Amino acid sequence: MRSDFETPSGVGTGAGQSLLRAVSARRGGICVAGALAATGLLFAWQASLIDFGDFALPGPGFFPLALAVSVVLLSVVIGVEDWLGAGHQGTIELGHRDVLIVLAALLAVPPLFEPLGAYLTLGLFGATLLVLIARCSLLVAGLSAIIAMVACWYFFQVALGLQLPIGAILDGLGM
Amino acid sequence: MTGFDQLLGGFAIALSWKGLLYCFIGCLWGTIVGVLPGLGPLAGMTLLLPLTFGLDPAIGIIMLTGIFYGAMYGGSTTSILVRIPGEAASVVTCIDGYEMARQGRAGPALMIAAVGSFIGGTVSIVGLMLIAPPLAKVMIAIGPSVEVVLILLALSVISVVSAGSRVKTVLMVALGLLLGSIGLDNLTGVARFTFGYTSMAGGLSFTSLAIGLFGISEILINLEKTETIKAIRPKFKDLMPRSKDLRDSAPAIGRASAIGFIFGVIPGVSHVVSTFVSYAVEKRFSAHPEEFGHGAIAGVAGPETANNAVTGTAMIPLLALGIPSIPATAILLSALTIHGVQPGPLLLTDHPEVFWSLVASMYIGNVILLILNLPLVGIFVNLLRIPYAWLVPIILIISIIGVYSVNFSVADIWIMAISGGVGYILRKFGYEMAGLLLAFVLGDRLEASFRLALTMSGGSYATFADHASIIVLASVLGLLFAVQALAWLFGYRKSVADETEGA
Repeated sequence: MRSDFETPSGVGTGAGQSLLRAVSARRGGICVAGALAATGLLFAWQASLIDFGDFALPGPGFFPLALAVSVVLLSVVIGVEDWLGAGHQGTIELGHRDVLIVLAALLAVPPLFEPLGAYLTLGLFGATLLVLIARCSLLVAGLSAIIAMVACWYFFQVALGLQLPIGAILDGLGM
Repeated sequence: MTGFDQLLGGFAIALSWKGLLYCFIGCLWGTIVGVLPGLGPLAGMTLLLPLTFGLDPAIGIIMLTGIFYGAMYGGSTTSILVRIPGEAASVVTCIDGYEMARQGRAGPALMIAAVGSFIGGTVSIVGLMLIAPPLAKVMIAIGPSVEVVLILLALSVISVVSAGSRVKTVLMVALGLLLGSIGLDNLTGVARFTFGYTSMAGGLSFTSLAIGLFGISEILINLEKTETIKAIRPKFKDLMPRSKDLRDSAPAIGRASAIGFIFGVIPGVSHVVSTFVSYAVEKRFSAHPEEFGHGAIAGVAGPETANNAVTGTAMIPLLALGIPSIPATAILLSALTIHGVQPGPLLLTDHPEVFWSLVASMYIGNVILLILNLPLVGIFVNLLRIPYAWLVPIILIISIIGVYSVNFSVADIWIMAISGGVGYILRKFGYEMAGLLLAFVLGDRLEASFRLALTMSGGSYATFADHASIIVLASVLGLLFAVQALAWLFGYRKSVADETEGA
């Protein structure tokens, strides 16, 4: 037996690369519970607009309203627990640079997916992550993205027959 | 046609070139996702779910199930060699497995883990084969009221066995049921929570939600980790255990097979709980409990056998009742439904080929995994050399294409991205996603059965306490308290909390 190699399991290893912010677990917990309660209230309001029926013969609004009210009540219980300090102690780290980059890149994909086409959008997505997270050079990231997209096209479109949106640019090039 | 004939028919499908190929792909991918930290069976199954759409239902399910138990096998490799559990069910294996590896005994630990997994897996398949068909026959006779009781109990047990806050788990269950009610009402066709978007009429996509809540949130959490992996790579010739190892492991494997088999039917996190209980049982039964934590082979054999023994029995509630007990079987439920196959009591009469080919493929898959995991362990360990930053774009691109291809809708990519972010925040604050996902899957049936039962009984709630329901309720409640007592007795909740703090 021998110890053969060492590899970083995560990627946020570089000093100064992290934008981690320690959030009080208690305050954060209250905020999360508040957000869940607000979600429950929104659903409860919408459910109240649907036919409730009655307790003997419930309508389509009965089940969602009961659940939405439960979500609100349970969120309040958790919020109060956190407020009294019975829930989380200490801090929770949020806002890691790479997490924010991945989330932003993910949210940029849907609006571009059909206009730009799947392959171009995902190629850009992959290259961006390779540059910003894996810290590759632009050339390596670009080449890797092209190879990955050709592989995706072959696997999904040719081998599996999956038709992904081609987009206006590639369509204009007659592909 | 007897059960034996049907099993032979199942073997004919599973041993066809397609059956073998997709079983192999499933086992291989399962092992890979089990080995790679941050990718568990659930993410592995959801990522390949879209690939099954063009396949025959039986073949598609064979592949997905292969991923499920392949991940259970693969998870032990990183636990033993790197001290990083590839998935949650391998956490306990880290304790003695890594100690053995440090003492130069990684080979025997891997060998015993693989053999135990094989035996545990095989025992549970026999159980699945024997229990599911008669249980399905009983279930055909029951009405919607009992179904309501069963689903409610399944969801209650999730909160009881959860390691974190029970209130938070119940909240996640309620939220899952609420999200499941989005779309057209099954009974009246009334649109609920669609906010005017026609793309929401069919409800939220399960695949998008599952990949977002489990896969994406897991990736985001892993991005924050900074520790360095130190892998110990064993040589093939060092794999053979000593005779003392075999003597110590054999009873542990036997007991853990029974533990995993029993815990497999319990909803929630049964594969995780079974490993903790098995470890505690082995420590109690051992003549040298002081060796536990310092490289006791029974501490590897027990948990690894137990988590694989769960895989077969976890299929029983899904295939016989149509109720998934863990998130991985919820993915199978979704896959079967997409293929037009409704899991439940009628599966064995309407689609017996799916059930029996699945059973047959699990026998074959266990052999494939034994062959894959031992000689190729060095190759799998080398996967850990790939920097995580390179894996992230690859996994995300496959996920995006996967969720889009289910309905060819960009809305599904939105749902995946948003639920990934929400899942990340919720998990950071101690909310568990398993309950939400199971409730989301079961919500439709719970509501439909609830309203149907009330309609049939003329609005009387007494229908939920009829004779059959009470029997079911009493049995499951007894089981629930037994689990709770066991979990308390063996300090599962404390162990998980300690592990979480230590992670």
